[in-house]
Amino acid sequence: MADLFRTVINFISILAIPLMIATFLIWGFFKKVRVYEVFVEGAKDGFHTAIRIIPYLVAMLFAIGIFRASGAMDVLISIITPLTNLIGMPPDALPMALMRPLSGSGSLGIMTELMKVHGPDSFIGVLASTLYGSSETTFYILAVYFGSVNIKNTRHAVPVGLLADLAGMLAAVFICRILFGV
Amino acid sequence: MLNYIWLSLIIIALVVGVGKDINDEVRNTYRNSTPLEVMFISSQVPSGTVTRCEGQIYLTAKQFNDFYGTSSQLEEVKQQVVLSLLQNKTGNFIFACTEVTPVLWRDMAKSASGSDKLTGKVERIEFSDDHGWAKATIVMESIRFVKLKAITQAAIDFANIAVEIAIGLIGVMSLWLGLIKVAEEAGLVKVLTRLLAPITKRIFPDVPPDHPAIGAIIMNTAANMLGLSNAATPIGLKAMEELNKLNPKIGTATNAMVTFLAINTGGLILVPATAMAVRAAVGSTNIGVIIGTSIFAAGCATITGIVASKLFQRLPRYKRELMDDTKKSVEMNHG
Repeated sequence: MADLFRTVINFISILAIPLMIATFLIWGFFKKVRVYEVFVEGAKDGFHTAIRIIPYLVAMLFAIGIFRASGAMDVLISIITPLTNLIGMPPDALPMALMRPLSGSGSLGIMTELMKVHGPDSFIGVLASTLYGSSETTFYILAVYFGSVNIKNTRHAVPVGLLADLAGMLAAVFICRILFGV
Repeated sequence: MLNYIWLSLIIIALVVGVGKDINDEVRNTYRNSTPLEVMFISSQVPSGTVTRCEGQIYLTAKQFNDFYGTSSQLEEVKQQVVLSLLQNKTGNFIFACTEVTPVLWRDMAKSASGSDKLTGKVERIEFSDDHGWAKATIVMESIRFVKLKAITQAAIDFANIAVEIAIGLIGVMSLWLGLIKVAEEAGLVKVLTRLLAPITKRIFPDVPPDHPAIGAIIMNTAANMLGLSNAATPIGLKAMEELNKLNPKIGTATNAMVTFLAINTGGLILVPATAMAVRAAVGSTNIGVIIGTSIFAAGCATITGIVASKLFQRLPRYKRELMDDTKKSVEMNHG
């Protein structure tokens, strides 16, 4: 069942982009849109949007970068570890959960390491890959998305994003414990 | 809020970095100017007065761990090294770090003078009669401020990475913005928004249901769920741009933007493609097992995010930030 689901979804993922390109352009052509001119007109904004993100992305990534390099993560982990026992989360998986909202490449490294050490089909391995698969790099997204429209006051976006990450982490621990826990 | 988190990341990093460096200095973690007795196994016998001599430094794991006061080294140390000796007695050594180099030495090499190379002095060396091996006393170069050097390097590296990411976006950005413009002009986006209006009206009450922003939000969410991150980001940025057209106070996030980002960062997904690829690479027998767990966890995160964004937007402090300044001053006069 899971295999069938995966095959179907994979098939859709591969087809999606060619299908979208074809639908957009052919539909546009039949609706008498001057497809080439309109495409170029829209594409013009690509450069400016990408460039507009730079200061926001530099600010965010550099702060996260020095945070990782300083070893502050280890300190944070030793502070939080007692709490993880309460929710039944193995302490080894904590760096994964903390790194996920901060850095995509950092959490990818931690996930790979955890699966190499504990085995991908162990409880920790499944938990680590679920944590990675079910979540996004919150701070990166906030920086890029708000940066693209020059928004500096993000209001409640950060607490909301972190609360969602916390809920996702608890849910991941919960479901993995039920299905694969020891 | 982002202000505080951003500043705390930086300050915590600096405080921890300085603290660790002071700690290293006090405990002399890297055994600066402390002589280390090693066995040297030469692969070529030195001759003459000034000699370049290649070979291996040999230490048992216990000797290494006792010297550095750790328990991290599990295997015996066999480090390829080059000695430059003066009259076969004293001199210098240099070695390049490889996979078999102890982790501690590799860490030291990162902040040493040469890149991934460690140097030091040979204080005394006594060769055996056949010159096949020797007892040597070496002193590693002094290693200081490891964390501060790492922080400096990271600051520069990540600033560059940020620009690389942004520049890398230009191509796909242009491609998708072009395609979406065509879809908009053709009325395709309208069809999509009308279809999902019953849902989107509830989640984004501030946005007219047939506004182009809704179309972009739907396409962005669909692309994210299919794991098409190349398409998702440009379309998502398009959605932000459209939402910003409804923004009464430029430079400040609207309720709809925060809700949209809650959905986006919630990580709603059908195929966690990257995690599955890594699982396959490390030899999992069942890579797809995380599909179900990821859908569940991401679903919980997304629902929490939407609900939280709706609740938080009612808080007075966040409401006030969205009012334009004239209204705010009027309200303050009244209150």
